[in-house]
Amino acid sequence: MALLDIKNLTLEINGSTGWIKALDKVNLRIEEGEIRALVGESGSGKSLIVRAVVGAIPENWRLTADRLTWKGRDLLKISQSERRKIMRSEIAVIFQNPVASLDPSSTLGEQLIESIPGHILKGKWFWQRSKHKQQIAIKLLHKVGIKDHKKYLKAYPNQIADDIGQKFLIACALVSSPQLLIADDPTRGMEITTKIQILKLLSQLNKTRNLSILFVSHDLLAISSMANKMTVLYCGQTVEDGKMEQLRKRPLHPYTKALLDSAPSFRKDLPPKSPLSTLDGTIPTLQHLPIGCRLGPRCPRAQRECVKVPELRYVQDHFYSCHFPLIREKE
Amino acid sequence: MMLIQIIRKFNLLILTLFVLSILSFSLVYLFPGDPLVNLTGLKDVSPETRQYLLELHGFDGSYIYQYWLYLNNLVEGQWGLSFSSDKPLWEEISQTLPASMELSAYALLLSLIIGVPAGFLAGFQHYKQSDYSLLAASVIGYSMPVFWLSLIMILVFSLQLGWFPLSGRISLLFDIPHQTGFTFIDIFLSDFEFKDAAAMSALQHLILPTLSLTIVTASIIFRITRRSVIDVMASQYILTAYTRGLSSLQVVFRHGVRNALIPIIPIFGMQFAVLLTNAMIVEVIFSWPGIGNWLIQAIYQRDYPAIRAGMLAVSTIVIIVTVCTDLFAKLLNPALTGERRAQI
Repeated sequence: MALLDIKNLTLEINGSTGWIKALDKVNLRIEEGEIRALVGESGSGKSLIVRAVVGAIPENWRLTADRLTWKGRDLLKISQSERRKIMRSEIAVIFQNPVASLDPSSTLGEQLIESIPGHILKGKWFWQRSKHKQQIAIKLLHKVGIKDHKKYLKAYPNQIADDIGQKFLIACALVSSPQLLIADDPTRGMEITTKIQILKLLSQLNKTRNLSILFVSHDLLAISSMANKMTVLYCGQTVEDGKMEQLRKRPLHPYTKALLDSAPSFRKDLPPKSPLSTLDGTIPTLQHLPIGCRLGPRCPRAQRECVKVPELRYVQDHFYSCHFPLIREKE
Repeated sequence: MMLIQIIRKFNLLILTLFVLSILSFSLVYLFPGDPLVNLTGLKDVSPETRQYLLELHGFDGSYIYQYWLYLNNLVEGQWGLSFSSDKPLWEEISQTLPASMELSAYALLLSLIIGVPAGFLAGFQHYKQSDYSLLAASVIGYSMPVFWLSLIMILVFSLQLGWFPLSGRISLLFDIPHQTGFTFIDIFLSDFEFKDAAAMSALQHLILPTLSLTIVTASIIFRITRRSVIDVMASQYILTAYTRGLSSLQVVFRHGVRNALIPIIPIFGMQFAVLLTNAMIVEVIFSWPGIGNWLIQAIYQRDYPAIRAGMLAVSTIVIIVTVCTDLFAKLLNPALTGERRAQI
């Protein structure tokens, strides 16, 4: 059974011009122990999916889904406190911009210790428990590769570097030994060396703890080095979904192809000083979304049928949503 | 780090006071009339006395020498005489300033007690009915002119209902000797027979002016607090705290309240200046024997030494309060202590 199963998730935001579908029938499935990448341009709704899963949706937004389940339990129907329990013990989230994710007015130690759930503590008396809390905190920091725990447990968020912050957030996330880690663009704006450290840490956790990871990013290079499966998102619609190698070798959706072509590191045949390939135009604003397939106006293969939203089709376990997939060239 | 902050603020205070004293000294020359008369407040003196005064205040020397003597006199409390009452200005100010500070302090305290919790309530209930109604109430309170509000209060509560006295600080029946200038402390210190009755009377006199000041200030404080709470609750670290599985109460009390208060405490300090200005108007209307009332009378009567001294006293108070709240906010923010990471 899938850990997280999302079917036809639609998120509407009440804008000045009426309700806008920021996410339009998004599908996503995460199995146990896999690393799934969620890829898309900025503004394609990646972070909104994360917010929908963790339940951080403002009350003036409208969320509907055919299925939004965590291990078979419907997340939309269970109560706030049950959901919080799941968030506390089974799902963990880390965000981009780690320093902004930490309360600037309390120390890292305080924040790490307060996320330790009470039931895993040993000892009856509060001093025993607080000592145990300290031990857990130090152990966790060592696990994520922060060696100088004395310095960092007492530090305030404005005193630490980005990579320490992200490692620290991963430590916070690991406190309750979750089954799923949602990493929302955790390496954004980091230098390459610190980025590699974070990515290595994540894949190592995936192997040693059988931790499933939903890795949200637009950094294709990072994704291809660690993910097993990939979901491509464009403008709030899932366009393609499948195994990483399959998608890389033979993308079916024109957008996936354009996305992969736009990353020079994936194109070894690219001659020097040749122009990089891009799609014409830009990602539309939320107020001016095209009807039907949202890639329509920018798509090189678009035809009249594209004003209707394409059905989700599949070849084995490779899903795509396009009227004119690249598969036809072969026929 | 803490010490550096304190020293820095202290420097700021000293420098600002220095500039203020230069300004007030230059007023001696800038006001129309004889600079010596403007400085001492003594009119129609005999030629011998005049000669003596000229020498005493260094008018034969340079401006800098005069300023130095002026500073010395300021420190010694010789601020000159008032034209209208012929009394020493220092004495007049030390009688009127505490009355104003008392009024402003009570109004500020009451505004904080009303405004801050209401702001938190509205901020947490953002987009809900209670938020909108509190916001609407604050717009009304914010847009009422203070003088009009005071007059309406007098009209309704003093003249029609007769609940509160019309003007003054305490009923004339009670003769409380002036000691500190703060009514309640004076009543407590005096060996007056009916202390309870005197305190009651003072309280009754205090209510209307305080309330007229509070309504405006509380609305401002409410709006500042509400905005800050909304901003903090929408921030990334609050979202992260929720995803870490903390309950709403834990998030609000451990991460919300302190972060919402830290940026707005200096703004409260700035509000004190606005409050004091409003207090001056209220004092005139309620015949409150404060410095605002006194200063406005001085302006009417072209009492130049009084205007100079009053300006200096009021601005000194405002600056001290502003710098102190600033310092307080800095000390309250733990993130500022300890080493900081360099930003590129």
